[in-house]
Amino acid sequence: MEIGPYIKLHRIKQEMTQAELAEGIVSFAYLSKIENQKTEASPDVISLLCTRLGIQLDNEKDITIKEKCQQWFGQLFEVNNKEEIKKNYKELEELMETTHSESLVMYEIHKIRYFLILGEKEEALKQINSLAEISSTFDSLHQFYWYKFKGNYNSTDGEFNQAMRMYKLAEDKLNQLDLAEEEIADLHYTIAVTHSKLRNTLESIDYADRALDIFRIQYNFIRCAQCHILLGISYRRIKMYDKSIKNHNLAKHLGNLSKNKQVIQLTNQNLGYLHSTKGDIKEAIHYYTEVVDDPEVDLNARLTAVTSLIKEYYNIYNIDQTKEMIEKGMELLEGDVSETYRLYRYVINTYDYAIKQEKEKFESLVIDEFIPYLRKHKDYANLVVYANMLGKHYEKVSKYKDSVKYYKLANLTYEELVNL
Amino acid sequence: MKKLIASVALGTLLVAGFLFSQDNQPADTAMDLEPSIFSIGNTGSFF
Repeated sequence: MEIGPYIKLHRIKQEMTQAELAEGIVSFAYLSKIENQKTEASPDVISLLCTRLGIQLDNEKDITIKEKCQQWFGQLFEVNNKEEIKKNYKELEELMETTHSESLVMYEIHKIRYFLILGEKEEALKQINSLAEISSTFDSLHQFYWYKFKGNYNSTDGEFNQAMRMYKLAEDKLNQLDLAEEEIADLHYTIAVTHSKLRNTLESIDYADRALDIFRIQYNFIRCAQCHILLGISYRRIKMYDKSIKNHNLAKHLGNLSKNKQVIQLTNQNLGYLHSTKGDIKEAIHYYTEVVDDPEVDLNARLTAVTSLIKEYYNIYNIDQTKEMIEKGMELLEGDVSETYRLYRYVINTYDYAIKQEKEKFESLVIDEFIPYLRKHKDYANLVVYANMLGKHYEKVSKYKDSVKYYKLANLTYEELVNL
Repeated sequence: MKKLIASVALGTLLVAGFLFSQDNQPADTAMDLEPSIFSIGNTGSFF
């Protein structure tokens, strides 16, 4: 990296103004020119500026930093121990603070992904904002990761359209770069997931196949399993059930080979949903129950399976089992008030009020809170389900005007969903 | 009166159309779960 943007980055990190850094060394207008690569300063000036920023210019140390960075970047892409990643991050952070390194910008860009992996979304956003100021000085390789990780942030935030724009910008950079095959496969896989979230089924199949071709050659079982799950979801959506089941079974097989419980149970959840859409409720319940009964599975996945079971049992009028699952869901959510699980809280409470026939509470929850929440999050699929449920409820109590209103909402949302 | 009959008929058509489409093409109730964009370890999350 050129020294000008490097000085600028360090100055911003240390919250110094140009005047503060330039004082007694150069004019702040000249510093501005150095930072923006509009002039080449003498080595003496650079040295003085670096000293004020507390940075050493040490080439040997930089080679060590470069190696450590490469190792750490790799850890951000593979299944790795989070503690190990954190430890290496701290070490690099200390080295970067005191030494001028060519790898600094790449390191700062990778910090976006690091924060996202740790679930620190706000830190990731801060990092994006601080890097935005120097993004005009990025070369093609920097830009590739900059767009990709900004897309990762949008994906984590549920903004899939924006994420797709970023991934496409990253993809455009591919022909200018000589990247490793697994890097390309990782981007294709990420694009496949995003297409799936946006319900662009054929595009998702295309990108998942492309990623799978590379991951297969590299015997990357987990990534292959993730691609097969995506293909399973996509083929179910276009009703190619046999192909969908085949892909899910392949994913499960790879999950078993790698002894990866998350992959196995993710497959079970999706197989459960596949059988549910086919109308094979018994099989759906079987797969969902496997997920719910596995204590090693994370809370989010267990809640998805529990709410799926509530819906299945409710739809076949199995009141006792519905109640049992509602209780289980409430147990899992006990004491939690976070935004992350709000959807599940709404689902569980909606069915709880419906089954207890607490009409006023049911109507108030669905109309005043749940439906506005789904609209806000553009969750059209769930909006169809709960607008329809409300329509049925009003039909049952002979409030036909309200009934038509919510059937109509369900209908219009359904159109929105299939047009997505 | 004509307007009322027309609106009732339209409403019925909408409901019938929706129910028909539901029977023949089940809505995606968002219960399928995509894997994470990040690698997933045994202790990691799905998402």
